[in-house]
Amino acid sequence: MVSESMGSSIGQFSRWDGLHRPWSNGVELMEDAQKNKHVLSTGCEGMDFLLRGGLHKGQVTELAGPSSSGKTQFCLLTASTVAYKHMGGVIYLDTGNSFSAKRIAQFLNQISRPAFDEMQPIVLQKVMNSILCQSVFDIFSMFDVLHCLESKLKSQMCRGDNDEILIIIDSISSLITPILGSSGSQGRALMVSAMSLLKKLAHEYNLAVLVTNHTVGGDGGIPKPALGESWKTLTHVRLLLSRDCGSDTYHVSLLKHPSAASGKAAKFIINN
Amino acid sequence: MSEADVKSWINGDESAKRMLDRVLTSRPSFSLPPPLHRIPLRVANVVEIAGPSPSAKTQILTQTAVSCVLPKVWNGVHYGGLGRPVLYIDLDCRFDVLRLVEMLRHRIVQVNGCSSTAGNEEILKLSMRQFSYIRCYDSFELLATLKTLHHRLQKEKESNGIGGHLLMIDSIGAFHWVDRASTTLPLGGKNRKCLSLQNVLEIVVEDLRKLLLIHPMLVIVTKTAIVGTTGNEVKRVSTTWPKTCTIASCIVDSWPSLAPVLCIYYVNVFIIHNCREL
Repeated sequence: MVSESMGSSIGQFSRWDGLHRPWSNGVELMEDAQKNKHVLSTGCEGMDFLLRGGLHKGQVTELAGPSSSGKTQFCLLTASTVAYKHMGGVIYLDTGNSFSAKRIAQFLNQISRPAFDEMQPIVLQKVMNSILCQSVFDIFSMFDVLHCLESKLKSQMCRGDNDEILIIIDSISSLITPILGSSGSQGRALMVSAMSLLKKLAHEYNLAVLVTNHTVGGDGGIPKPALGESWKTLTHVRLLLSRDCGSDTYHVSLLKHPSAASGKAAKFIINN
Repeated sequence: MSEADVKSWINGDESAKRMLDRVLTSRPSFSLPPPLHRIPLRVANVVEIAGPSPSAKTQILTQTAVSCVLPKVWNGVHYGGLGRPVLYIDLDCRFDVLRLVEMLRHRIVQVNGCSSTAGNEEILKLSMRQFSYIRCYDSFELLATLKTLHHRLQKEKESNGIGGHLLMIDSIGAFHWVDRASTTLPLGGKNRKCLSLQNVLEIVVEDLRKLLLIHPMLVIVTKTAIVGTTGNEVKRVSTTWPKTCTIASCIVDSWPSLAPVLCIYYVNVFIIHNCREL
């Protein structure tokens, strides 16, 4: 009988039942999204408009652009804004030694716009303490960092004390490109597992994730995001950034978004 | 053989009219939004929607889910939905529930003509209650989900008496690279098959087939077909997957009144005119 072979005995059912997450109802999903999955403003109006409010918690946003197109500047600006305005912890994984605490302080001074010229040093120190920067130079150390973070978040969740709200990885393509060989599936498998882990962290612990990617030449010389076709399905939102030569004006266009039409573009300026 | 036996054998089990009545109630047909509206889909059919990224495959699933969970008639207003429960297995982990709610709300307002009333919220909640969602982060979780699905459906059938679910799997090839890269573990003994994640898809296919025998439901699956300029990017999902699409014809062959179904839509160009209007 088919239903007997389906394991209709209670013992077999309980063996399998613990191995997967519980089913959620649509109403529960809706309430979770409204209560937990807020939107984090990036500090840049053009970008916020394009992203329909900013970085969404529970989603992975990818920012692709050629070198020196402002990706790191944007990451630092987002880190400062989230740490100051949303008062949450930021985990910054830096793969190219481009994190600059001085620049963060500059952004914070710009954002807070206090009555006097500079922010009070005590407040500045408190906000900067919530940005944790870690250098990672290969994908395996990134996995280590993320697994440590996962256990820390799990214990924090039990206490009801979740602090972190944003993970920034600048840039994830420098971790993945060395392992993406031409043949063999090991590299792609690692890439898919890394993104799967990031998406799990984003959804279960209500974090927003921002990753940066470089570009390669595409059809007709127009740059397209790197990391190939398999990468395209791994992120929720994809943005393409470019900068006018020698100026502070940045152009960003939306390549993919779960609830907006692609092709929209915006322009913004980040002052020095 | 006595004359009575021969007579009963000739007379058959039931008349064609009775069979048709029975089939139409226990195996209802689904009328789905485009592009799935062109073929008559019934329970126990398996539809695969394949296409490169991004080609609106998840949007098709979301739109189909919306028409499925909406009731046909509620409070005297005709919504035109199917009123059937939807099971969504998310392997890509990119499902956006707010998008589903947005589309559902838009449909409700379109029918009702007025926005944001208590009645709208009530029918929204009623429809969302028909939607069940689960995420799987690796092949083991997918297997566990399929194995426990039988119990869940059995319990629902006993308590509510509803059947005819719609099962959606978003991106059946999500674990393709991870499974391919896993090494085989020899179980010992030459005649036993090596245990490896590459066989997982075969087991998934088997489980789906068994599930469809007991709980007939319509299965819609998306698959990202990757075709690159170099041969390296071509993604080949295991050869056992196409067998699921022929499952439909195997079961259907035994019901001569129904047309055999095997549908694959290659959605290379599917234009969403304006996301706000959907």
